[in-house]
Amino acid sequence: MMNTSNGMISAPSSSSSPAANPQSPGIKTYFKTPEGKYKLHYEKTHSSGLLHYAHGKTVTQVTLAQLKERAAPSTPTGTSSGYSASSGFRSATARLLGTGNGNRALSFVGGNGGGKNVSASSRISGSFAASNSSTSMTNTNFDGKGTYLVFNVGDAVFICDLNSQDKDPVKSIHFSNSNPMCHAFNPDAKDGHDLLIGLNSGDVYTVSLRQQLQDVSKKLVGALHYNKDGSNKEGATDSTFPAIRDPTQFTVDKAKYSKSNPVARWHICQGSINSIAFSYDGSHLATVGRDGYLRIFDFSTQKLVCGGKSYYGALLCCSWSMDGKYILTGGEDDLVQVWSMEDRKVVAWGEGHNSWVSGVAFDSYWSSPNTDGSGEHVMYRFGSVGQDTQLLLWDLEMDEIVVPLRRPPGGSPTYSTGSQSAHWDNVIPMGTLQPAPCKRDVPKLSPVIAHRVHTEPLSGLMFTQESVVTACREGHIKIWTRPSVSETQSNSSEATSTIALLSTSFPKDNKASLSSKIVGSII
Amino acid sequence: MGAAGSKLEKALGDQFPEGERYFGFENFGNTCYCNSVLQALYFCAPFREQLLEYCANNKSVADAEENLLTCLADLFSQISSQKKKTGVIAPKRFVQRLKKQNELFRSYMHQDAHEFLNYLLNELVDILEKEAKGTKTDNESSSSNGLKVPQANGVHKEPIVTWVHKIFQGILTNETRCLRCETVTARDETFLDLSLDIEQNSSITSCLKNFSSTETLHAEDKFFCDKCCSLQEAQKRMKIKKPPHILVIHLKRFKYMEQLGRYKKLSYRVVFPLELKLSNTVEEYVDIEYSLFAVVVHVGSGPNHGHYVSLVKSHNHWLFFDDENVEMIEESAVQTFFGSSQEYSSNTDHGYILFYESLGTR
Repeated sequence: MMNTSNGMISAPSSSSSPAANPQSPGIKTYFKTPEGKYKLHYEKTHSSGLLHYAHGKTVTQVTLAQLKERAAPSTPTGTSSGYSASSGFRSATARLLGTGNGNRALSFVGGNGGGKNVSASSRISGSFAASNSSTSMTNTNFDGKGTYLVFNVGDAVFICDLNSQDKDPVKSIHFSNSNPMCHAFNPDAKDGHDLLIGLNSGDVYTVSLRQQLQDVSKKLVGALHYNKDGSNKEGATDSTFPAIRDPTQFTVDKAKYSKSNPVARWHICQGSINSIAFSYDGSHLATVGRDGYLRIFDFSTQKLVCGGKSYYGALLCCSWSMDGKYILTGGEDDLVQVWSMEDRKVVAWGEGHNSWVSGVAFDSYWSSPNTDGSGEHVMYRFGSVGQDTQLLLWDLEMDEIVVPLRRPPGGSPTYSTGSQSAHWDNVIPMGTLQPAPCKRDVPKLSPVIAHRVHTEPLSGLMFTQESVVTACREGHIKIWTRPSVSETQSNSSEATSTIALLSTSFPKDNKASLSSKIVGSII
Repeated sequence: MGAAGSKLEKALGDQFPEGERYFGFENFGNTCYCNSVLQALYFCAPFREQLLEYCANNKSVADAEENLLTCLADLFSQISSQKKKTGVIAPKRFVQRLKKQNELFRSYMHQDAHEFLNYLLNELVDILEKEAKGTKTDNESSSSNGLKVPQANGVHKEPIVTWVHKIFQGILTNETRCLRCETVTARDETFLDLSLDIEQNSSITSCLKNFSSTETLHAEDKFFCDKCCSLQEAQKRMKIKKPPHILVIHLKRFKYMEQLGRYKKLSYRVVFPLELKLSNTVEEYVDIEYSLFAVVVHVGSGPNHGHYVSLVKSHNHWLFFDDENVEMIEESAVQTFFGSSQEYSSNTDHGYILFYESLGTR
C-alpha cells in the first residue's frame, strides 16, 4: 500500500511541525492511534487581515485539487484514489443547497452538481472509474507542486499548496457582493474548466485552476458563469424548468433547451439539502438534508433506491465507502450513522461526539492490520469531525457488529409503530424510506480515538494517501501525517512491530461492549 | 411601529396564518425579560389554549380578584381578539401586578428571564391549586379531574394536578446505588424546567447526557444507606422518569465565579437541534420526539445588563420578537443564536431558554 519513493513527506517534518502550538492553546500536535502517531504536519490558513464582516457567515469547505498535466506518468495501481473527482462534487453541491430557500437551492444542486454528469450520463461512470486508477499515485510525486487545497472563507476562495510548509495561500480570489459556499474539482473536465465554485447567490462558476494560479489579480479569470439569474433568489423565475407542482414529491426535469446548463433539475424534498455524494463508480447519488433523511438514488434511472431518517434532526454530511457498500452520515443527533446498501438500513451508530457531526469520510487508504487475504475479514476505517472540535476515528468490522437483544414483540408502550424494529429481520423493499430507528435496535460503535484538533467547530475532513486533513468553520486547515509514513522513516523495524502489536490487541477491546452477532452481512 | 407591522404582514403575504396575531410588547424600562418569556408562552399552543379557556370561563369573576393569572389571561385574550393582525400591545397591567407582587422584579434593574419564568409558572400553579381547593370543598367528588399525581417517596406537593402541571411538569428519578450493598434507592421529584450545565462547543444532546451521567458520592459527600444504616460511597444518576409535554430547557449561562466573587456570562457555543429526543429517559419514553418552538435569547456580554429577545415558531414560520418589533426570520437564522466558540466575540446573542413541544401522541 505504501509508496516508499515518497519524496514529499521526507521534508523535515519534525522541524516544520510546531512542537508547541501558539495559535491553539491546549491542543496537542499529535494524536495516538493503535497503528501509531498522527502528527500535525502543516497548517494552512488565510491572512486574518483580509477578513471583514462577512467572516463567519459562511462555513469553510475544503477541496483537494490535483493538476493532472504535471503528473509524472504513473502506473495505474489497483488502489484507490478517486477522491478528488467524486467528493469534489459532494462538497460543491452541499453548501449550495444548505443555504436560503430549500426548494430553490435544492433544484439548483440537482441541476449543477449532477448537471455536468447528466449531459453525458453514460460517460460519467466511465470517467469516474478511470480517475480512480489514474490519479492513485499522483498526489505524492509532485514535490510540492501538483496538489492544492481550495477553501472558502468569507467572500474569498483561497488556494494553498498542499505539500509546502507555507501556511499562507498561494492565491486568493475575491468575490464582490456574494460569498462562495462550495467548490469542487474534476481533474477530467473536458474543457479544462476543472474547478467549480458555487456562491450563496446561486451563481456557479467553472474555471481552470491552472489559469487562476497563473494570474496575478484577485479576480476570477476566464470563468464560465452558470445560473446567472440565480435561481435561488427570491422572486426570480426560472424559465428553464417548469414550476414544481408538488414540493413534497421527488421529480426530475430536464432543461427545455438542449444546450443550456444546468441540464436537469432534481427536486428531492422540502427543506435544504446539506450534502450530496456520488458513489465512486458514479452509479448512485446520496443526499442528506434538513428533513433528516438520507436518500440514495440510482443516478442513471433517476429512481430512489432506499433511504432513511436520522434518529432526530437534520443530517449535515454524507460519504460513500470505496466499494459502494456503505454510506456514512452525520447530523444534529450527534451520531455517525452507518448505512448498508445491501440491507437498505442503518447497521450501526457511532456514539462519541459531543455536538453535531459535520464531516464524515471513509479512509480508503487504510488497510486493516489483520487482513489475512482471504477476504473474509473485512474491516473499514472511517473518520468523523464535529462541532465539538473533535476528530474521531472508527473501525467498522461488519461480522463483529452486534444487534442488541431484541425485546419481545409488542413490548413498546410508546408510539413506535412502523419503527425499524418491525422490519429488522425482513428485507426492506426497494424504493422505500425507513423511519427513524428505535434507539435500542441499532448496534453502537465506540470510537478508536477521539482527539480535539482545532479550537473552532470543524466543518470538513478528508483522507489522502499520506495524511488526514481537517478544516474548521473559520478557515483553518490542519494536515496530519499518517503514522506509517513518518515512523517507517525514522525507524522502520521498530515502528512496524509496535504497530502490529497495538493493532492486533486493539479491536478486541473495542468489541468488549458488544454482545450478539450479525453474521454474513458482508459477503 | 405600524410600519413594522405592515412589513411583517407584507412578508407573510397570503401565508399569514388564519386567526393568528403577532403583537410586539412595549418595554416599560428593562422589562424585556418579561416580554421575551411572555411571547414564548403565548406561542406555546397548549398553554395559550388553556389560558384563553380560563379567561372565557372566569369572565364574570375576573374583576373580583386580580392576580398574575387573571392579568396574564387578560393579556392573552387581548392579543388574540385584536382586530389588526400585527401591532404593539402594552402589557401594563401584568407588569404592574408582577412588580406589586414580587419586589425582586420591582426595580428597573436587569432581571433574569429564567427566574421570571420560574416565578410565573409557580405562581400560576399556586393560584390554580388554591382555586381547585376552593371548588373541592364545594364539590368533593370532582377532585382534581380524577387524575393521579405520581407520588414521590417524599411528598412535597398537594396532589392537585393543574393544567400548568399537565403542560410543563415532568418527573425526574434520582437513583442512588449504594456501593456496599448494591441497593438502589430511587427518589422522584417533579420539575417544570431542566437547568443544564453547559460546555464550550457542545450540543443540548450532550448537555442532557451530562445531566444524567453517573456521579460518585464519596469522601464528605457520602450517602446514608438505609439498608447499611451508615454513610456509604454510592453512585447517583438522574433520569427522566416522565418527560413533560412541553420541555423547557434552561442553559446555565450565568455562572458564579468563586475567584471573582460574582456571576459571569458563559458565551459558549451550545447547538440546539430543531428536533430532539431525550437520551436520559427511562426505557419506555426513549424515542419520544420533541420539536423546538421558542427560544428566549440573552443579548449582552455580562449577567447584570443586556437585553432579551425571543424567537418563536408559529405555523411553520420563525418570528423574531424584540419588545415592540416583530420580524420574520429564516429558519436557518436560528443557528446564529448558538453562542460563540471564542470567549471574546462580537456575537453576544445566545440562546438561554429553549421550549420544545412533544410530538408524541398522548
